[in-house]
Amino acid sequence: MNRKLQEQIFASLDGTIGLEDFASMQQSLIQSAEARALYLESVELYESLGETGWPGVGTVTPTVAVQAVSRRQDFPAWFAVAAVLVAVCSLAAFAIGRRSSGESIAQRPVQRPAQQFAGPVSANDVETMVAGHASLRRVLNVRWSDGAASYRSGDLIPAGTFSIDSGVVEMDFFCGASLVVEGPAELNVTSDWELTCVSGRLRASVPPAARGFVVHAADSKIIDLGTEFSLSVTSNNARVRVIDGEVEIHQSAHDPKRLTTGEDQWLDGQKDASEDESSIATSEELRSQQSQLQRQKLSSWQVAFDSLRKDKRLIAYYPFEHDLGDATGSSRLVTNAAVAGSAGDGTLVGPVVASVGRFGEGSTGLEFDRPAARVRTRLDGTFLAFTFAAWVRIDDLSHRYNALFMGDGYENGEPHWQIRNDGKLMLSVMVDDTKEFSHFSEDEQQVVQAAGLHHVYFTEPFWDITKSGQWFHLASVYDPVGRRVDQYVNGVRIGSETIKDEFYTDTLRIGPAEIGNWGQPFRKTPEFAVRNLDGTIDELGIYNAALTESEIKSLYDQGKPLGY
Amino acid sequence: MTTRDEQYDDFVSLLGHCEHRVRRFVRSLMVGAEGIDDVMQDVSLECWRKFESFSYAAESADPGDSRHEAFIRWACVIARFKVLSRVRDASRERLVFSDELVELLAEDSSSWAAKESPRQAALTQCLSKLSQDDRRLLLSVHATGDSVAGIAKQMGVEARRLYSRVNALRSAMLKCVQSQLASQ
Repeated sequence: MNRKLQEQIFASLDGTIGLEDFASMQQSLIQSAEARALYLESVELYESLGETGWPGVGTVTPTVAVQAVSRRQDFPAWFAVAAVLVAVCSLAAFAIGRRSSGESIAQRPVQRPAQQFAGPVSANDVETMVAGHASLRRVLNVRWSDGAASYRSGDLIPAGTFSIDSGVVEMDFFCGASLVVEGPAELNVTSDWELTCVSGRLRASVPPAARGFVVHAADSKIIDLGTEFSLSVTSNNARVRVIDGEVEIHQSAHDPKRLTTGEDQWLDGQKDASEDESSIATSEELRSQQSQLQRQKLSSWQVAFDSLRKDKRLIAYYPFEHDLGDATGSSRLVTNAAVAGSAGDGTLVGPVVASVGRFGEGSTGLEFDRPAARVRTRLDGTFLAFTFAAWVRIDDLSHRYNALFMGDGYENGEPHWQIRNDGKLMLSVMVDDTKEFSHFSEDEQQVVQAAGLHHVYFTEPFWDITKSGQWFHLASVYDPVGRRVDQYVNGVRIGSETIKDEFYTDTLRIGPAEIGNWGQPFRKTPEFAVRNLDGTIDELGIYNAALTESEIKSLYDQGKPLGY
Repeated sequence: MTTRDEQYDDFVSLLGHCEHRVRRFVRSLMVGAEGIDDVMQDVSLECWRKFESFSYAAESADPGDSRHEAFIRWACVIARFKVLSRVRDASRERLVFSDELVELLAEDSSSWAAKESPRQAALTQCLSKLSQDDRRLLLSVHATGDSVAGIAKQMGVEARRLYSRVNALRSAMLKCVQSQLASQ
């Protein structure tokens, strides 16, 4: 009997099961007597364990539980090996944390042996799971129905209702089938292989790997045997037409019927000659429509950019307009496009790759997905305030801290702008790097010693793995005059904190700094903390000013890509 | 004819003997442990109201059935309807089994719910094969009603890790019971 089902049963009996697993477990139980037997045996086990008169049961003492977890008898040899690795790696992490010059203990790599070294018994535990049956490839001119979920290109589509009032989307089911859906339309997604079309027009393309893809409509079941069909469902009628290949139609009172290329069939209701499914866009048509819309967005952005870069408050403005493929070639220069900033050009260092930017073809960003990838720059002077604003596509928060823009040594007045692996945006400025201070860390639930007086301003989490590949406009404002740190995602403020006297400084500097990574070229050890951003930055602006909420919103509105 | 008092004594004695098996039946039809007490209370009251209609002869499935077994079968029918009506009332809640599954489980479950099963003995055997630490961990979750999260917090270990350990022990117990029963 499969392991997943067993886990689901335990979770269900423990009352900790999630909706998705519950639905899947219920399905298995309905379908299989063997599954039900396992379920009933488990119920019996639970009840028996609750009733057992075994002596010596009482509250578990700490040593007992810890031993129970790390005992070797029932674990194979991997566990002993893992335990040793845990010890070694913890030491190494500690050493790196200690030696990295000026970096606070609060920010050193956190030791999480239990999570990092899970063996077979707990392997399922640590594996990241997300729910979804399809992903959205394109979203064009869509108005989402009231009350229904809305999505962006690249989003996962979970089971349930998918509803648009107008526009066109293209979605890829994980089985390999893809759909072009024209609004108004309402779908009900059931699995990687199956959906119901409640209303709307769609075109389904089914490659060989997805043969057997099922669309329900008007009490009929359409099974695609490959390769393409269209379907139109209105309140009055429903028609399926095979564009290419073959489908099988099951209607309750009839034998299954096969349709081949060019054939069509009314599933329900009045025939209506005016319906013509062949007008539903093909994937290729959508692609060209999308690039056209993106080009429009890009050119209106370029107009906005030309005026934005004249902002006298800019310390630096990096548009990252590299030619694709050029980043690793001859041009290693990263231009500071701010009209006011005469210096401050950056340099590509290491395996930085130019990749497609937020407006698709014709726009570029820089990808920092390997540990040595970085853009180095130097911004001299003293500043009165900081605003950092960037368009960022996060593929994963692979490291404890994932750098956006970081002052090298983290000395007095220097900023660290990064994202923690729990999805929180964070900004900090070193106040006094000669002081030691201790504070209670919510995170580690203990008092920690920090080298250097500073405070990290966190937002609530804005990112998790389901947002992988999406573009975000991130902005953090350090405002000594207003004594506030405000942070924004997509033009919306998600964090705001007062700067306390203790952490107040109005002498801000940057000096040597890095984009997309953290450089410590003067450290005394060979090791360096891995903080490269696993993702792409398309544009970064650094201002010697505290931009207001409406200015941030306006940056977002002027720069947002298609579908935002 | 027996008096209501005699009936009452009889009923209390039957219920006392059989309640845990009816409870197990109820549990098998519901998700998690929540609400089981409420259903059991309803079932007990309903059984008492209808006790006059309980007849050993009518309920025993085969001649070997004891009076207890017959009572359990009878009570399980009542329990099944109580669960179904609760499911309908609670269908707006997140997690309830569908009617279809409740019926299927009730069907599967009733075939052995009434019989005193050798599983308890097998389980006792199997528990004795565990180390003391593992046994205490497993039993403290179930017998003392401690939650895994609670124990983990108390221990300062990670709940997910502890949970997976408990689950591994549960799986091991299930396999052990199966093999014990097979070898008998």
